[in-house]
Amino acid sequence: MRTLVVGCSLAIVTLFATAALAHHSAAGIDQTKSVTITGVLKEFKWANPHSWMDIDVADDKGQTKLWSVEMTAPAYLARAGWTSKTVKPGDKVTVTVRPMKNGDPGGLFVNITLPDGRVLGQAPAAPRATQ
Amino acid sequence: MKPDRIFALAWALVLAFAVAPVAAQQPRPAAPASAAEPPPPLGALAPANLAKPRPQAPFDLTGTWFIDQRNSENTWRFNPTGPFKLTPAAQAHYDAAKKAQAEGKVYHDDIGQCWPAGLPIIMTRVWPIAMIQKPTAIYMISGFMNSLRTVYLDGRPHSDPDIVVPSFNGESIGTWEGDTLVVDTKYFVEDHHWIDSGIPASDQLHIVERIKLLNNGNTLEIAYTMSDPKNWEGDWKVTKRWTRVDDTDIAEVSCLPDLNQHMPSTQSKDNVR
Repeated sequence: MRTLVVGCSLAIVTLFATAALAHHSAAGIDQTKSVTITGVLKEFKWANPHSWMDIDVADDKGQTKLWSVEMTAPAYLARAGWTSKTVKPGDKVTVTVRPMKNGDPGGLFVNITLPDGRVLGQAPAAPRATQ
Repeated sequence: MKPDRIFALAWALVLAFAVAPVAAQQPRPAAPASAAEPPPPLGALAPANLAKPRPQAPFDLTGTWFIDQRNSENTWRFNPTGPFKLTPAAQAHYDAAKKAQAEGKVYHDDIGQCWPAGLPIIMTRVWPIAMIQKPTAIYMISGFMNSLRTVYLDGRPHSDPDIVVPSFNGESIGTWEGDTLVVDTKYFVEDHHWIDSGIPASDQLHIVERIKLLNNGNTLEIAYTMSDPKNWEGDWKVTKRWTRVDDTDIAEVSCLPDLNQHMPSTQSKDNVR
């Protein structure tokens, strides 16, 4: 499977929303880069304060690493078109993340390409304000 | 003892244990009034407290609010924007946090390890915060870990310092000054409690909030004055605004023990703990 396509950050707004809604510091995340991984979904958790995905990703030598992908809260995923059944274990998925600065296999979720070709992100943290 | 008498005794014991919990739940009769002792204070939701005559509150904060980030994405932060002087102990934390940040590391991210955010940052944690105002108190429930904060409006003073239990959100007493609600908060815990990365909070933290409702009730403004002589000199002042969000509710949110097992940013071996 193809792994690790590194590029510049293109979605600062999405990145900020992801980082801001997290329950933790994002200081360990490289906010200037994006990494795209393709692998087999091991587990998807639909939960507060974070949803998350664990993905088995094989490198060019056939070695498999488990990537943990931190996502926002389900309320903001739902606004971007997600449901709790959007993905299931065993699905082949392509996911773009902001990677860890220290190179650990994981990062903050940016978007996913589903087996049917649809691309889903996550909505900004700020709800629609009453004016 | 005859079998029938043993049977009767056993039933008597069963009945006694069955009735005891019910009896324990019955309201106790009021203690006779004593001229020497004042009546016990009423809770904020006691009907007799709610029914006491009071001036009409100038505004009602009841609703769901979200920190306004339209002008800056950093409005949730409470670190001072101007010059400030920390105490030597706090400065050591601050310098270490800056060093860690420069190295791409997380410094004492206790919130990420499921410690409560605490005041002041719980107010701006980039999660919606629900507020329910009664004549005697305002209840604030943050969407972030469902943190509860109560602002008492029923005229009670701050608690006896020898009795109060310090907390992350402190003890908040509110009084009305014209169209402004002034909230005085103290009695904080200092362990694992931070104002911002590298800026600790102590048990001497004192926060005064001057709260106004603007824009036909759709904008909440709070002017903060914060002092903490264990950690910095003088008062820090900052004003925050929140926007009413009517399409949002507060969900159940808990920092469960297994949450961080799947969060590389909280599990990183490079984090400074």
